[in-house]
Amino acid sequence: MREVLHRYRLFLSCGFFLFVSLLLATINARSPYRMDPTGVLFLEVMQPLQVGVTALTQGTRKMLGQYRDLLSVHQTNKVLRARLESLEQIQERLVELELSNQRLELLLGLRAQSSGTPIAARVIGRNPGTWTHTAVLDKGERHGIQKGMAVLTPAGVVGQVVSVGPHASHLLLISAANSGVDALVQRSRVSGIVSGAIVGNCQLKYVQRDSDVEVGDVIITSGLDGVFPKGQQIGRVTRVATRHDEMFQDVEVVLSAELAKIEEVLVVAPAAIRAGAEHLRNE
Amino acid sequence: MPRLPSEQEPSTFETNRLRTFGLFGVCGAGAVLLQTSVFYHLPFVPDLLLILCVYLGIYHGALAGAASAFFLGYVLDSCSGAPVGIWTFTMSLVFTTTKLLSQSLLMHNPLSVFGLVACAVFLKAVTSLALLETHWALALIWPFFTHYVLWDLLLALLLTPPIFALLATGERAVARA
Repeated sequence: MREVLHRYRLFLSCGFFLFVSLLLATINARSPYRMDPTGVLFLEVMQPLQVGVTALTQGTRKMLGQYRDLLSVHQTNKVLRARLESLEQIQERLVELELSNQRLELLLGLRAQSSGTPIAARVIGRNPGTWTHTAVLDKGERHGIQKGMAVLTPAGVVGQVVSVGPHASHLLLISAANSGVDALVQRSRVSGIVSGAIVGNCQLKYVQRDSDVEVGDVIITSGLDGVFPKGQQIGRVTRVATRHDEMFQDVEVVLSAELAKIEEVLVVAPAAIRAGAEHLRNE
Repeated sequence: MPRLPSEQEPSTFETNRLRTFGLFGVCGAGAVLLQTSVFYHLPFVPDLLLILCVYLGIYHGALAGAASAFFLGYVLDSCSGAPVGIWTFTMSLVFTTTKLLSQSLLMHNPLSVFGLVACAVFLKAVTSLALLETHWALALIWPFFTHYVLWDLLLALLLTPPIFALLATGERAVARA
């Protein structure tokens, strides 16, 4: 018997378990209730494990989801940064255009006030060295610019054209030591020559000791030099000093036009040329 | 592929029988946990228990293997909420078929193992369909085959080598302990 059982153990064991399982399936198929006597036990054993594994799985999924979100946020951040940079560039351009527009409007106002035909020009170059006070304009002989013409901005006098090329010209700034503009103190009408200094601010030279000049006085062009139109603002007095052994007062002037920042200027023909042109027109 | 238990010394095999049974219990519980709590997020859940059942059929004895397959099927029935007996019968049938085929075939090459796994997948599909949807079995067989069985087969074939290797490693560790 034992030998028979051993010989047919495969068929017997498989047949037994197949029969029992089929019996279970048949009973459960026919019964309206679930016939699972030990299933509850398995369920109870598996429940904490399933809870733990589910929590772990959900935690992992959540973490992965957050990581994915983080990547997405990183990507979005990059795109938005690029967009922000682009918008900032556009804004900078708009601000620049606005400022340029304001400057040009002022220049147009000055042009309307000036007699003759002033030429608007743009500063395209600056001092080549520390001791030089020059600038380069983008207009030259072809545009009507001539040597000796006055250069102005709405803020005040800038300088004088000293050399002219066909398409560009050199401007000697008023702050140069070798420049000179015949000027008046607006309040007291005291006259002098505004000239640059090697060190420090410009000076109003040749003002006599007893002349009435005070700190804060506005200095304007007198028009007597035949270059600059009369009444253009040059600057403001910041220091007045009188020494007992000197014939003239030391008057320091701060220029109205910020020479280091000028971008657009108006080039005006000298008074003598303007007068000649008007005389020719009248004739 | 792991060494057949029959290749081990009889005394060692008898000594480790209980431990091996415990190992399969733990593996079965782990597989059920993975299938019910981890893989359900995937579009197709791989049937790890089926692969375990095929492994039992190829490398283990009739009584212990049949009991283990029955037990695994019963656990799956309890956890899946399906009518009790469906998976129990399916797993028992898969084990029986695998056992019978593995005794007739030369099982020392991977191709035969893949063939047995494929056979087990088809058998499981047909049996569960026949038991669950008795009236509609014939009408449902084609959509069931295209939407379910092919993926099940692919996943089973992909997972068979690593699972077999893991089980063999576990058995060797148990034998050494």
